[in-house]
Amino acid sequence: MVVAVAFDDSVDAAREWVDAADPRPEYAVLLDREHLLGELYGIVNVPTVVWVDEDDRIVRPPVVAPGDDLFKDFTHIDSNVHHDQLRAWVREGTLPPQSDREHPVVPTEEEQVARVERSVGAHLARVGRRHAAERHFARAAELAPMNWTIRRGTLPLRGEDPFGSPFFAFVAEWEAAGSPGYGSADPNAPR
Amino acid sequence: MTDAIVSLINAEHGARELAGTVDGGRVLVDADGFAALTGWTLKAEGWCRGEVCVPVRDRTPVAADGRIDVAGFGAALSMPTVVDAEERVVALGERADTRAAVIATGDAPDFELPDLEGRPFRFSSIGRKKKLLLAWASW
Repeated sequence: MVVAVAFDDSVDAAREWVDAADPRPEYAVLLDREHLLGELYGIVNVPTVVWVDEDDRIVRPPVVAPGDDLFKDFTHIDSNVHHDQLRAWVREGTLPPQSDREHPVVPTEEEQVARVERSVGAHLARVGRRHAAERHFARAAELAPMNWTIRRGTLPLRGEDPFGSPFFAFVAEWEAAGSPGYGSADPNAPR
Repeated sequence: MTDAIVSLINAEHGARELAGTVDGGRVLVDADGFAALTGWTLKAEGWCRGEVCVPVRDRTPVAADGRIDVAGFGAALSMPTVVDAEERVVALGERADTRAAVIATGDAPDFELPDLEGRPFRFSSIGRKKKLLLAWASW
């Protein structure tokens, strides 16, 4: 059973992608304005998957796993790897060998404050207090500079293009720091 | 000191409005409303949530009229807290060690979020099946 959780601020932003999907998803698509799932599962980037078994045990902690190869030139992640791993788990119950690149990200005190600052910024942006929101977004970015859900995820709320120059500046910063975070589902991807 | 409607934000409930007071840079909120949203109540034993109580020596975070200084609460329990008195917004997070301890158990935390039609969906309602949680975004 798939549960898709959108780290988005509005139903409309998420719905645009759901409506465009072919076939249309038959599974639950949920809206997570407060990034509750990020908080509970230590998710710092999207798209990220977590595998949970019949006994509600996490059998695979968060890994980056794009659904298709649209951004493969950029990520070098082959989406078929995760799809094959998933089929093997669902059909035979086999888990992929633990990759060196996969490791859960344990939250730091700074990251926890950054999540709170982000939520204050998001609230203020929603109620039209964009200038006040900016202070909180800036503080969140200072405290958790490698968290994609904060650095990139706040760009739309800050009136920035998530594919614009602030995004590419962030990616350069992240790569220079050694691409921190949990790995991807594809052990052959460089990060 | 000014009476004000204060927005209290946490990850479970988002922003909710509470009766409060703004006093310079301090924001105090109604103790009952605070308990309803966060689960924390000040008892004789200390700050309590469910079965857990944290002893506190300094009770000054709670004002005489049953209001809680949110920054004082956060400091007493070492919980991440953001107070924006100018905007009348306060927000609380969870301690890193609390989250890390939950992650270390390997148990999948339950949660409830709305679907795109606004209907609440609880993760545990799926029951005994394999589950793929997919975090994604339009951005």
